[in-house]
Amino acid sequence: MLQLLADAFVLGCSYALMAVGLNMVYGLLRIIHVAHAALYTLGAYVGLYCLYHLSQSLWLSLTLGAVFPALVGALMYRIIYSPVLSAPRYVALIAGAGVFIASQEFYRLIAGPYPYPFNAHFKFISITSSHLNISETQMLIITFMVCAFLCLYLIINNTNLGLMWRACTQDMELAASSGININLIIAINFIIGSALAGSAGVLMALYRNSVFPTMGAMVSYKAFVVVVLGGFGSIPGAAIAGILLALAESLLGMVPFFNLPRDAIAFLVMVLVLMFKPKGLFGR
Amino acid sequence: MKRYLALAAALMLVCGIAFSAQAQETVKIGFITPLTGFAAADGFSSLESAKLAVDYVNEHGGIKGKKLELVSYDDACQPDQASALTKKLIENDKVVVMISGSYSSPSRAAAVICQQAKVPFTSTYAVHPSIVEAGEYCHRIGMAAPIQGRTGGYFAARELAAKRIALLIMNNDFGVSLAEAFKETAIKLGAQIVYEKKYPLGETEFRSYLNAIKAANPDLIYAPGYYNEAANIVSQAREVGLKCWLMGDEGYDSPKFIELAKSAANGVFITTDLNRDSNRPMTRYFLENYKKRTNIDADMVGASAFDAVMLVSHILNKVGTDTNKIIQYWDTIKNFEDCATGPILMFQNRSAIRPMDIQIVLNNKFRYFYRYNEPEVIYLGNKPEGK
Amino acid sequence: MTFGYILSICTFASIYAILILGLNILTGYTKQVSLGHAAFFAIGAYTQALLVTKAGLAFWSALPVSILLSMAIGIVMGLPSLRVSDDFLVLTTIGLNFIVMGITEYFDFFGGAMGIIGITVPSFMGHPLGTSGYFVVTLIFLILAVYISYFFSKTWGRLAMEATGEDEQAAQSLGINTALYKIYAFALSSAFTGLAGALWAHSIGSLFPRNFSFEMSVLFLSMLVFGGLGTIRGAIFGAFFLYLLPECFRFIENYRMLVYGALLTMIVILQPNGMLGRGGLLDRCFLKLTKRNTETHGTLKIG
Repeated sequence: MLQLLADAFVLGCSYALMAVGLNMVYGLLRIIHVAHAALYTLGAYVGLYCLYHLSQSLWLSLTLGAVFPALVGALMYRIIYSPVLSAPRYVALIAGAGVFIASQEFYRLIAGPYPYPFNAHFKFISITSSHLNISETQMLIITFMVCAFLCLYLIINNTNLGLMWRACTQDMELAASSGININLIIAINFIIGSALAGSAGVLMALYRNSVFPTMGAMVSYKAFVVVVLGGFGSIPGAAIAGILLALAESLLGMVPFFNLPRDAIAFLVMVLVLMFKPKGLFGR
Repeated sequence: MKRYLALAAALMLVCGIAFSAQAQETVKIGFITPLTGFAAADGFSSLESAKLAVDYVNEHGGIKGKKLELVSYDDACQPDQASALTKKLIENDKVVVMISGSYSSPSRAAAVICQQAKVPFTSTYAVHPSIVEAGEYCHRIGMAAPIQGRTGGYFAARELAAKRIALLIMNNDFGVSLAEAFKETAIKLGAQIVYEKKYPLGETEFRSYLNAIKAANPDLIYAPGYYNEAANIVSQAREVGLKCWLMGDEGYDSPKFIELAKSAANGVFITTDLNRDSNRPMTRYFLENYKKRTNIDADMVGASAFDAVMLVSHILNKVGTDTNKIIQYWDTIKNFEDCATGPILMFQNRSAIRPMDIQIVLNNKFRYFYRYNEPEVIYLGNKPEGK
Repeated sequence: MTFGYILSICTFASIYAILILGLNILTGYTKQVSLGHAAFFAIGAYTQALLVTKAGLAFWSALPVSILLSMAIGIVMGLPSLRVSDDFLVLTTIGLNFIVMGITEYFDFFGGAMGIIGITVPSFMGHPLGTSGYFVVTLIFLILAVYISYFFSKTWGRLAMEATGEDEQAAQSLGINTALYKIYAFALSSAFTGLAGALWAHSIGSLFPRNFSFEMSVLFLSMLVFGGLGTIRGAIFGAFFLYLLPECFRFIENYRMLVYGALLTMIVILQPNGMLGRGGLLDRCFLKLTKRNTETHGTLKIG
């Protein structure tokens, strides 16, 4: 039972890392950032490239796997989203979807359709006991997620940058007229969110030992659910909801003859929650 | 600028539709396969293997002197595209035989069209029974699921003497039909199913299922599915501490399975028809040349496509391009040796029958373990008369 | 008969066009953005398939039943829209997509993972319909759908839906029962989509749960947005163009989906109202060609 909880917690961390980026973009721009999954996969491929061509060390892969998507994410905002901010929001949705479709094909054309193993070397703590086994990779994911969220939380609540960000999420125009450089805030927002997605990609590539062009699809659907459950725009909400969702899925997975696929369960939970709380669990 | 965009789009539309079939001195066979989308890896394997077979045939005299030409299209694993493309291949490209290198849904759509158009058809690795049920023009090269599942059941319950078996089934036609046949056989042979669970295609997290399986204490876990999920299943199973036998099917039969599962793959059994230790000339030819051609080790999906082309070429060489003769001859084929899997002993209910192999992963390679020749294992239902 | 391929893809494009017309009523007029329309499509297809294979009905007798059933189920699936709005509704529709897919995959009544096989070839006056026959039938239904859409667009119902979509509170203050019109939109939309689903089921002959994926829903919304949200001509154009485009790119087969994605993104950014929507590129070309006054175009005559 403890093992189940631990495994679910790790899974939840991965959901949370994906969801927080989506949440940040939504909080600021009210766009459902469908192309987020493309950045997740990009991070995994960049990490893979590092492993094969630069160094076998995981840390380099993780760093570049976060930095590169971060830049691409900011670029994506500039090229794709900023022209359509004034248009109805489904336009941004479709533009993001187009980018996602194209990105999957792009990865396939460059790296081939086959999955690649992610053979990284690293040393980290692990827990091995009779009741509980947490592997090095699992510990890494948990640690990373906790650190990332702590940093994010501290930045948002305790720094000037965070103050400006919060101002922008509440009222963009007012923030702009107060002298805040909203373009900078938006760019930083995408950079951080995309960096988290990219690093989630690297970590999951390590965890599952595979990188393939369509790996982002599955995760992104889950991330939507987490974002809704956690409440649009709420960072701690994304973290808690991610973990809760993973727990719910895993517990239901234990029920022997309950065969409804995990995705359907996740969305069913989401729809039911929305019926009772139309703005999400922690929404405002 | 924007005007030109629309104009260009309209032009492309017109050009695309204005398709002209060119008459050449070639014998054409049609091929649909998913080159884009989630199934792109299998599409690539099957296409490259089919091309390899076509090259082999052409190097060895072609079809009665004429060149064999493979006309292939990407169906993105969608039945509507498969359906339209089959019509295109039959009517515009004038193919003599259709081969589907795709999954069950597109293959079934294609089979129906071929039956209506009276064009001989075969699927390669798709297992849905309805594909051959579409009619007398539709065949299957790959192993029928009832046979493969049954083989697994025999191996697990009889050869490995497993008494408690857990089932972790991929919830698509492939996994479900294999599991059904396996379960029936295993129970008949005295085993007990202690756990049964279906998971969706694309699932990556199995720990909760595996922990439950651990609690049920099985001797063997049978997990029919494809290698992506299977790699996760076996590595997570070992991580979780399961020490029982792990068994899979031809969907695991790919070097990627071993690459992704790493050391956890060792000791896993699979039912398949590709024997990598075989000394049969065609098997060796396929394995070596596929590697040369693509720099990747071959897999079962590719082997099925290779065999389909080889078989079709053999038939065309034997009876020419007359459809009726092709169909009649197809049903009488016995002991076909020119294939990577097999030999193909015969066609029963238009599905290929061959000895079933059990391979095991040892030292990160697929190795031969056991072969079934018994009629009650490898034939569909009752053994047909006269063999 | 060398047009089988072209007729085939045109049949599918027409089926999609009928569906997009339905989506237009829901998302175009009433602004209830649906990213799960493949679920409604699946319901139409599965209902028809079950009626034909399990209840043994013929194509023509099953069709009205499946349209009505799709409408009924569509109304039920539309009930959440009364509770959630905007982006939450989008996600709810995505959720419905996955839930319907899960149900068709899990419950054997719907065929489960093995799908439904053997959906009969429809016949007319005793003769089975071939490719061209079926295309004609589909085209007739498309024309019917266009006519109904056009007729509807001239009614008060459409105005009420647009008002609900624009600003729900303002609409309510005008006395419009927005809840009713939202449900009405779901009902109409599901009727069209159910019809499309039924036609699709017969043209392929077999159904599998994964045929109706989330990617398909994204495609549907893209077709509508690309063509021109809120316009009938946009719906049809979007469906045909985005369906036929990948087929035209077969000469660069390995790259066609990449080009498709890139093109979709580019065009949607350049033409946010759609190619045939108000102010869209093709719309303006068309206006110039017919020399119609830009001011009067697009306004409804009231009274």
